[in-house]
Amino acid sequence: MSGPVPVGHRVASDKPFLIGLGVLGGSYLLIIAAMVLADLVFLDYGDRSVLGPESVQQGRYTGGEATVVVEPGRDYFFRRGENEAGLKVGGRSVTRDGLFRAAGGTVTLLPRAPGQAKPVTASLRPKARVRGIAVTNGVATVTTDVAHGQLWGEFIRVSGADAPGWDGVREITNTTTNQLSFAVTEGAAAAGSLSLSRPNPLVQALRSRDIRFSIKLSLISCTLTTLLSLWVAVPIGYLMSRFEFRGKPVIDTLLDIPIVLPPLVVGLSLLILFRYVPEWLSDAVVYKWPAVVLAQFMVACAFAVRTMRVTFDQIPKRFEQVALTLGCNRRQAFWRVIMPQARGGLLAAGTLAWARALGEFGPILVFAGATRQKTEVLPTSAFLELQAGRTEGMLAVSLIMIAAAAVVFLIARTLGMKRIFA
Amino acid sequence: MIALENIALRQGSFELSDLSLELAGGEYGVLMGRSGCGKTTLLEAVCGLRRISGGRIILGGHDVTELPPAERGVGYVPQDRALFPTMLVREQLAFALVLRALGQAEIASRVDELADLLGITGLLDRTPDKLSGGEAQRVALGRALAHAPAVLCLDEPLAALDEELHSEMCRLLERVHRETGVTVLHITHSPSEAKRLAGCHFRLAAGKVTRDENGDCD
Repeated sequence: MSGPVPVGHRVASDKPFLIGLGVLGGSYLLIIAAMVLADLVFLDYGDRSVLGPESVQQGRYTGGEATVVVEPGRDYFFRRGENEAGLKVGGRSVTRDGLFRAAGGTVTLLPRAPGQAKPVTASLRPKARVRGIAVTNGVATVTTDVAHGQLWGEFIRVSGADAPGWDGVREITNTTTNQLSFAVTEGAAAAGSLSLSRPNPLVQALRSRDIRFSIKLSLISCTLTTLLSLWVAVPIGYLMSRFEFRGKPVIDTLLDIPIVLPPLVVGLSLLILFRYVPEWLSDAVVYKWPAVVLAQFMVACAFAVRTMRVTFDQIPKRFEQVALTLGCNRRQAFWRVIMPQARGGLLAAGTLAWARALGEFGPILVFAGATRQKTEVLPTSAFLELQAGRTEGMLAVSLIMIAAAAVVFLIARTLGMKRIFA
Repeated sequence: MIALENIALRQGSFELSDLSLELAGGEYGVLMGRSGCGKTTLLEAVCGLRRISGGRIILGGHDVTELPPAERGVGYVPQDRALFPTMLVREQLAFALVLRALGQAEIASRVDELADLLGITGLLDRTPDKLSGGEAQRVALGRALAHAPAVLCLDEPLAALDEELHSEMCRLLERVHRETGVTVLHITHSPSEAKRLAGCHFRLAAGKVTRDENGDCD
């Protein structure tokens, strides 16, 4: 060696390294949290008024302002468009979206740029008032004084009724332009007055029979898929981890196919496969609930297999070898020595498979279809809501999914902790 | 007794062939050799954990060449001990006995007897992660002796123990050997350890086992 080792060697602070780790990890966490938070904030949790038709005529701001004829003393819902600054009612000006009461016979819309002849984009809709209430055979028919725009199969919240048996969220069974019908509690006395509002999307979703069905089907099919996946993943993972045999790389590649393939293709391949099976089998599966489970299983199982294989890889062979010398055959060594150690991995594989199955959409759409109350799972519901133009409904379904997953994961992890630390 | 007759085995790139070794019943044999010369492989072959490509293995007078490890009547203590992490010390000691479907009372008394012999009575209700190196070694020894095997295979049992524990364990091994009369095959790379332990000395080098004449065999 040449010179002496220099004394007083100093190292740089660890802070930048640790901060870097935190920033890189934190930025991802932040995006996830922000995404969920945005969904939560976007949803309107209050009940909304039942509104009549649009009062604002299409046109342009020619004279600098636009006048809208209204009914004095009536409540209107104002939504500001991109070209408006607000509106003037009586002596007041309203700049926020929401309900206001008309004082005179007209209100004035105030354009954002008075000099330019921009189109009128504001919306002004009267709040529907109940004009008549009739009850026949437990079905109430409520007549509103304006066309209310409610659809059949939605929910309406009845409040402030002057008779018992009316208040609450009720499913609309029929609608006409200005009438809507819903069942009231049996034996409810006739009500003289009540008010109507639309429940928030979360309530609508949780009340909907279709979505209730899809929650149920999702929970059941995911659990079935998880059990099936573990049943297959444990033996495959163990075989791949412990034995060397010819063709192992081929099997390894085969196991990766469901992970690599686009989900839609998995569905399509299943559909094509079922053209070649006996008719009774394909009749029982395709476009029915078993197709949902099979589609979920094909993808979820691949992840469970990977997890189980890593789990078994991390358990040294030595344990089995000792067990064998102590008098076990391979089966006994597996159940008595290996599986107890693989519990953590089993739990991880199970939750991973469950989560994959819950989010699975593409293959289900192709292989099981999207039939309401038959093959509709939560991702299908979200898709159907979006297709129907109900963004809020879709978000409500998404929040239900997040909540369901969070509950299941919490339970699984708590159970796992207990088992590991007990 | 242990007799290896012209055995041949292959592991990856290295190959051992025409190995022979003979140890009479109740003897304490120490097999020495440099790290990586195939000592562990040889031990695994004796236990039945590795297939041999030629020759015969005879344990306690029976040809066990084709028998699975479970039927060979060996106790195996690997270098890393491999205590089952999910079991209490008591369960580890009882493991071989439960497999042989012994009665509960019989198992309990055998476990107590073993714990007494090895001085681990106070540790019976602990899990392996709560044991020190020396304690874990005793438990692994107890687990391997539970089913009263004719042959005990020890793979570097004293490696990674400090000086004091080392001599304590040596005394324990001697005591266990004396009291159980088991035939021991103990492998080590340390000549001083071999010297410390009475018995028959073998050396594995260049693919051959030779009896060390310095040993006080017989």
